[in-house]
Order: sequence, then structure tokens, then C-alpha cells
Amino acid sequence: MTRFTRWIRVTTIALLFIGTTARADIAIVINDASTVRQISHSEAVNIFMGRYRRLPNDSVALPIDQAPIKARFYRALVQKDMAEINSYWARLVFSGRASPPQQAGNSEDFLDIMTHNNNALGYVDAARTPPHMRVLLTLSE
Amino acid sequence: MASLMTRFRSRLALRAAASIVAIVGVLGIAFLLTAVHLRAESEKSVQQMRLEGLIATVERTAQIACFLDDAQLAGEVTQGLLSNRIVREARLIRHDGSALADRVTAIDHDSGAPLTRAIESPFEPGQQVCELTLVPDQDWIDSMVNDATRFLSVALVLQLLGLGVSVILVVFYFVTRPISDISQKLHALEAETGQKLSSPSGHYKDEIGRLVLSVNAMIDRLVSSLSEERRQRLAREIEERRYRTLFDNVEAGIFELDDQGQLLSANPAFCRLFLGGRPLDPAGPPIAFTALSGEGGPTMQELTSRRARRDSPRQWEMAVGDGKYRRWVSVMVSRLEEGRLQGVAHDITERRRAAEAAEKLAVTDPLTGLGNRLGFERRLDVIQRYQRLHPDRQHALMVLDFDHFKQVNDVYGHHAGDEVLRQIAGMLLATSRQHDYPARLGGDEFVLLLDHRTPLTDLTELAQRLIDSINRPLILASGQQVRLGVSIGIAVLGRDTRDVQTLIQLADQAMYRAKREGRNTWRCHDPNITLES
Repeated sequence: MTRFTRWIRVTTIALLFIGTTARADIAIVINDASTVRQISHSEAVNIFMGRYRRLPNDSVALPIDQAPIKARFYRALVQKDMAEINSYWARLVFSGRASPPQQAGNSEDFLDIMTHNNNALGYVDAARTPPHMRVLLTLSE
Repeated sequence: MASLMTRFRSRLALRAAASIVAIVGVLGIAFLLTAVHLRAESEKSVQQMRLEGLIATVERTAQIACFLDDAQLAGEVTQGLLSNRIVREARLIRHDGSALADRVTAIDHDSGAPLTRAIESPFEPGQQVCELTLVPDQDWIDSMVNDATRFLSVALVLQLLGLGVSVILVVFYFVTRPISDISQKLHALEAETGQKLSSPSGHYKDEIGRLVLSVNAMIDRLVSSLSEERRQRLAREIEERRYRTLFDNVEAGIFELDDQGQLLSANPAFCRLFLGGRPLDPAGPPIAFTALSGEGGPTMQELTSRRARRDSPRQWEMAVGDGKYRRWVSVMVSRLEEGRLQGVAHDITERRRAAEAAEKLAVTDPLTGLGNRLGFERRLDVIQRYQRLHPDRQHALMVLDFDHFKQVNDVYGHHAGDEVLRQIAGMLLATSRQHDYPARLGGDEFVLLLDHRTPLTDLTELAQRLIDSINRPLILASGQQVRLGVSIGIAVLGRDTRDVQTLIQLADQAMYRAKREGRNTWRCHDPNITLES
């Protein structure tokens, strides 16, 4: 009985590890019609945190937040949780100097924006990159 | 100022307090300077920490402002920093050196050392986005430091003042007051009556109490030694009076001489002996002792030489005065102390005269007043000695023998005989010179010892003159006449013999020859004849 319970526990922990590893990596993507081939991590931070909205090809970047994996993305990008990210944007509400990325409610909205806008910059789970999307930067978790 | 100094010197409490306050003041100033320095240092580090704290407080907002290059937010941050009075100026400088925000307050104040902190990106650690510089308000920091140190100074000064006052009070209460108390008591103390000093209350066992005990012990010693001295002085005065009475009234002359032989003091008896009764005038010209003494007195050398002064008592017999007033004095001089001689003088005139008289009596024939046998023998001794010293000097001796003198006694009686003898003595004296020595050796035996000054050539004439004068009739007191013849023998010392006993024999032999050869004549010693007989 005891031996069986222990076996179950070990197996569960192993499966959890395997699952986590399988979920890893978030890819920053752009419509593959864009001329931008890749961006640096720093450029990604500047664009998503509102410092500037400019792509390496000098066109205006349009960062898109995707609600389901937003928390995972910001943790991977700047090692901050959502409370900190929200506090950051709240601080900047009155100065109007910067504004948060456009919010996509679900995957359909997100894909719609991404498909119709060559300058839209979004992020997806690296394992499920949608078609017609080019990966600019892969963030490992 | 001078009176202050006097007061300062005369007040123990004041001086002690001033010394202690000075010492404490110097130490206090040193401590104060150190404390102020340390306090200022710590105040500075406190201010530094406050600045650091301010930076930490605003750092996150400043990061965001710099990250977004948000001048408005940066302005808010710097404004917020300036609301703290310690900050005089706050500025955020971009990477390229341009200012994102720069606010200054209190322009007239001095700046302290600026504190600069690199502001990193809020999202990418290590990536510097700008610099935050805070310039502290030095005047305000200084005023804070001053406030802190002012309290220290005031506390220390108050402590010093308190200490000074306390020392004055303590010294006054425990030292000065008891001492001045003792001083006043000591002033009013009549030590002769055996009065003692009492300790101030509360000081019986401490140093002041012991001081009082010591003073009392000293008073005891002084009083006892004083009374002892008084007693000794009384005894000395009695002794002095006794001595003075002796000195003034004693028959012996007492005197003192200095080392020059001059009189220092003399008693009345001395003055009577030496100064004719005049008292010694101490202020008068100095009188040398040797000037007072005559024959037999000490010479100045004897009196004052070093050896003489060291010697035991010495004695002289000396003559004082002349003629009728001539006195004989025995003086004994002994050393009293260095440079001081003491002498005692006795009048020995009577004793000396008596001795002289006895001496004269011993050598004088009482009947005739001429010399007797003893005198003659002494004179012979003198001449014998003189002859040895001067062999060329000659002395003649005449021996007289009266022819038939025995008959005078028999016929006229002894009284008449004595008278005859006295007259013969007178003739001898008349015939001889002063230096010659006529003597009656006994019975009718007369001799005449002639001095060497009587020339030998006069001998025969002298003998003949003597014979002639004796041959003249002698008239006695009873009116009777007596005739006498005399035979004279003469011998000469230095010519006939050199021995006085032989001289007598030779003179006797010559006299007997004169008798044999006819009486009433004189014969000189003839060596040839002597040899024959």
C-alpha cells in the first residue's frame, strides 16, 4: 500500500516536470509579410514596456497583449508578475507619456489583429505558432 | 586688578577653584573640541544616510521616469526630493549628459559634496538609463551640526561652572574656614598661661586636627624651653652678680688681655696696683700690659707669641712704680680663649720685703752692721764665679787682726769691746769703697774683700790708711780712750791664686807674717816666703 502510494507520487512529480518542460518558451511573432526578421530582447522590452513603438525597419510597432498567456510572457520578458506590470502602467496613466499594449481578449481577436496588421507584434506559445507568423524572438521560461 | 590679584593670592579656596576650573576648562575644551568633531562627523554621516534613504525612496519612480524619458515624472521626483530641506538641488541627467529634470532651492545656501547615483532600467538590471545627483544644503547641515554641538557646549560650560562653585564651597568649608579659625585662635592664644588650641568641630581626626595637635605639642615644647631658659638666665644673673662682687672686691688684681697684650678689662684691685687707682677707661687709648710692668715683667713676645698663648699658666714677679711707690706684683697669666688672656695679680711687696730683710739679716753681723761669715762666704762664691768668667780681673782680700784686742774686753768690759768693734767697722766702711765688702767673721776677726775695680796699686796706701785710722785713739762713750794696733795680711785672687779658699789661707799667712814681723803693719803674700815657711 505504502509502496504503491510512493510510486504514484513519484510518477505524478515526474509527469508535472515533463509537462512544464513541454509548455516552455514563448515566441514573439509578427505577420510574415513584415520585413522584420528578428528583434533583440532589449528591443522587445522597449516596445512592450512603452519606451518607444518602433520596429528595426523604422515602422511603428503595435504591441498586442494576449490575455491567456500575458502573465507568462511578462515573467519571461522582464521577470515581473502582473501586479508589478499593472502598477507600472497605473503610474503612467496621468503623464500620458506611454501607454500599455493593445489588449486582445482571446485567440481569435489576437489572430485577427495579427493577420490584418503587418506591424502588429504579439506573443504566442512557442509550441503552437499560428501559420503565417514569423518568430522574431523566443523567450525561454 | 591688583586687588583682585591680592585677593587671589590670599584666598585658598579661590585659588584652588581657579586652578581646578582652569584644568577642567582646558580638559573640557579638548573634550568639547573632540566631541564637536565627532558629533559633526556623525551628523554628517547621518545626513549622508538620509540622502541615501531619500534616493532609495525615489529610486523606483526615477527609474521609470528615466526609462520612459518622462520629464514630467522626473520633475515630480526631483520636486519631491527638494521638499526635504537637506536637499538643495536634485537633478536627473540622461545618458547623453542632458538634464531630464533639474530643480534647485535655497539658492543663497552653500552646496555640500554632491551625491550621485546611477539609475538603471527598471526592467533590465545593469543597463544604466540616467544619473540622479543630489546636492545637499551645507548651510542646513551645518545648522543641524551646530544645534547638536551647542547643546554639548552649554552642558559642558554649566558643568564647569557647577564644578568651580562646588570646589570653592568644599575648599572653603573643609579647608579655608577651619584654617582661618585656627589662625584666629592661635592669634589670641596666650601660650604662657598653658592655654591650648582646640580643634575646629568636625576636624578632630583629620589633617587639621593633627595640625592642631602638632601646634599644641610645639607650644608645649616652646613654653617649657622658655621657662627653662628663664630659669637658666636667673641662675646666670646670680652667678654674674656673685662673680662681679668677687671681681670688684677681691684684693687680687684681675684683668683680661687681648692677643696684642692690651688691657680689655681690669678690676678695681688691678687699677689700684697698676694704674694708681684710676679706673680703666674702656673708651680710652689702649694700654699695653708691658707698658705697666717694670723689672721682671713679661716681654710683649712672651705674652703674645703663639706658643706662649697656647701654654699653660705662666707666672712673673715684676716691679711696678718707682722709688717709694715701687711695689712688687706676682702676675699669673693663662689663656681664657682664642685671642683672650686672663691674668691674676697679687701684691707681694710685703712678702718680698720680708724675704729681703731676712736675707739681709742672715748675711749681716748684728753688732757692726757689716757682713757676717755667711755673707762673706756668699760673696766669695760670687767672686769665685766672676773670676772664672773674667780671669784677668783681680780681687784683693785683706785679713785684719787686732793686736791685744782681748785686753780691751778684759780692761773695759764687753760693752766697751762691742763699741770698739762698731767704731772699727765704721772705719772699714769709711776707708773702703762702695763695691768693696767689709765683713766681721767673728770676735775681732775682720776682713775686707776688695772689688776688682779697686786698683792693686792702691792696696798699700789703703792698708796704711787703715792702720793709721785704727792707730788713732778711740774715744768710747764713757770718755775713755783706747789704742789698738792691727796686723793686715793681703792676698790677691787672680794673681796669687785662683781659688778663694786658698786666697783666705794666703791672706791669713800674710797676716801672721805681719804679726811676726813687728805687729801693726801689713804684709802682702809673698810666694817665696810662703814656700819657705
